[in-house]
Amino acid sequence: MSELSVKHLLGIKYITEDDIQLIFETADHFKEVINRPIKKVPSLRDITIANLFFENSTRTRLSFELAEKRLSADVVNFSAGSSSVKKGETLIDTVNNILSMKVDMVVMRHPNPGAGVFLSKHVDASIVNAGDGAHEHPTQALLDCYSIREKLGDVSGKKVVIVGDILHSRVALSNIFALQKLGATVKVCGPKTLIPKYIEQLGVGFESNLKKALQWCDVANMLRVQNERMDISYFPSTREYTQQFGLNRQLLDALDKEIVVMHPGPINRGVEITSDVADSKQAIILDQVQNGVAVRMAVLYLLASKIQHNED
Amino acid sequence: MSATLLKNATIVDPTSKHHLKKRDVLVEKGIIKKIAASISEPKAKEIVLKNLHISQGWFDSSVCFGEPGYEDRETIENGLKTAARSGFTAIALNGATQPVLDSKSGIQYVKGKTAGNVVEVYPVGTLTMQAKGEDLAELFDMKTEGAISFYDYQKPIENANLLKIALQYTQNFEGLVQSFPMDPSIARKGLVNEEINSTKLGLKGIPALSEELQITRDLYLLEYTGGKLHIPTISTKKSVQLIKEAKKKGLDVTCSVSINNLCLTDDELENFDTNFKVLPPLRTKKDIKSLLKGLKDGTIDGVTSNHDPHTIEDKKTEFDHAAYGSIGLESCFGALQAIVNTETSIKALTGLKERFGIHTTPVSEGSKANLTLFNPEGTFQFSEEHIVSTSKNAAMLGKTLKGTVYGIFHNKKIFLNE
Repeated sequence: MSELSVKHLLGIKYITEDDIQLIFETADHFKEVINRPIKKVPSLRDITIANLFFENSTRTRLSFELAEKRLSADVVNFSAGSSSVKKGETLIDTVNNILSMKVDMVVMRHPNPGAGVFLSKHVDASIVNAGDGAHEHPTQALLDCYSIREKLGDVSGKKVVIVGDILHSRVALSNIFALQKLGATVKVCGPKTLIPKYIEQLGVGFESNLKKALQWCDVANMLRVQNERMDISYFPSTREYTQQFGLNRQLLDALDKEIVVMHPGPINRGVEITSDVADSKQAIILDQVQNGVAVRMAVLYLLASKIQHNED
Repeated sequence: MSATLLKNATIVDPTSKHHLKKRDVLVEKGIIKKIAASISEPKAKEIVLKNLHISQGWFDSSVCFGEPGYEDRETIENGLKTAARSGFTAIALNGATQPVLDSKSGIQYVKGKTAGNVVEVYPVGTLTMQAKGEDLAELFDMKTEGAISFYDYQKPIENANLLKIALQYTQNFEGLVQSFPMDPSIARKGLVNEEINSTKLGLKGIPALSEELQITRDLYLLEYTGGKLHIPTISTKKSVQLIKEAKKKGLDVTCSVSINNLCLTDDELENFDTNFKVLPPLRTKKDIKSLLKGLKDGTIDGVTSNHDPHTIEDKKTEFDHAAYGSIGLESCFGALQAIVNTETSIKALTGLKERFGIHTTPVSEGSKANLTLFNPEGTFQFSEEHIVSTSKNAAMLGKTLKGTVYGIFHNKKIFLNE
């Protein structure tokens, strides 16, 4: 039986194309499961998963929790707001305390890049990175690529533009790695202040003009402007940002083809994307959300099977 | 102390007529009594060591311990033991303590604590009160007491006028001002070198530009004011160029490079290992190439270990929260020797002595015995067992180093490693 090449999912950087394909094939199966009247399977019975969220999240957390519950895992939730972190406990101690209560897997979101990598070296559990600062958000990239595959048949050979705040975005970075591993071509588009200076060394193109970027691509992934991560002003006003990098119906109608529109959510309607575009059939935003559960079920299932395999 | 006879020692000292020659060296009462092809002195204690080389005692221009205030990082006593074992007869001890060394009494404390040690300690006073970067500390008073330079350790001088005044004011008493090369408005909250690796890792970057802008500003100020400026720990290709041009112009500027920036690149950051979180940040191969060239052609005046101990709690944490710095005394010579030849190593480890006002004595008859004893050959993997420091935060862990230190001779004392 095929299995993942890794014990943890810390980032797309650390997994292979075969891993991604295996996750997709497994997700196909779980997508069928969650559309059944009885959505639950016993695959992860006896596995306990802790969701550790050191940073706010609604959809990722819900998505993971649903994935875990539909696999019949036991789930405990932890958020930094109500925790001992505020009392000065270190991350390793916090997690080891939770693990000593016999937890098998940890799903962690953390504001600092590399927090998942750090933890994986110091604690004995399978770690799933649910977003670490501006580093990676691997399950988001997996569900994005899975959604492209579902919509267009294949990711290989497709042209994808990621628009917006690339500088502060773990979604962008993970998407770049995943898309490239699957054979897609990637460009980024946004104000130069929000594009990492050395991004092109990742084999990614840069296009400053949204219209040209849209004309080039098969898929446009519109990122949210992450005001909460910006400690200085990278552009003068949201209004100006929207004028240059907001996706609207007029721009889409001017194209000689129909492109796929994506957004990792939550949407700032009227900023990076107008409502009529977000709600149109060209946008697969809600498919992404649904696929998120199936993809996360696949990731958890495959990682858990490695734990059980090791114990045999 | 009775006489000591160093047998068959290769002398590495271009200022000595015995340079690169194998000699017996007789030391009596702290003075080099005789140097000859073969000396027989039955009363002397003979020291016979494999492939023994000797040079003028080494000097490290940027060392931090933790006393007072951060004794859990390192005490002065153990720090000096570390320096001695690592071959240094003199260190410039930064005032990054708690309280910082910003007054005569702080300098007195360090001098008092270290008097008579085999390692000579030269305290570095802070440039500003409480190292806050606002008002000048009592520089003259500290200089009189023994401060050899003034430096707010790794804190950039944000206010250009403050540096202007410092460079002017210190001229009266030949004070040496240090300015950390980083423009904080460009570096901002950066953690590592801004390049492809920072992009891949999602870590905020410190552009080379931030260093180069600050050096450019400082050199302009120096040209205007006169005075003596030392730029500690440069790390980029363009910085080497800037210093080279300034020296050509005749400006009174010197600079150092940290051993970390000379040996390691930001490729090391791949696993978010906080031992590689240092300032200046680890840069690229291209920068190392220029730094090495600058060291060889004399643009860079010396290499420092930039020894900066931190506790496990400071380092075993998320990368963002970890303290900057690595210990380096123990691995400095071996790391240097692994990348340059012995003569360049010794030049790098002694080149800043005069600039910091430390009396240098050639390895010649009649000189005070200020010597480092070493073997330039033999590679080994640097591991925790080689660490003497209280803190173990070493960027060089696991690296292959070359050469070993046998000990030092200074202050009429000899210190030999077991």
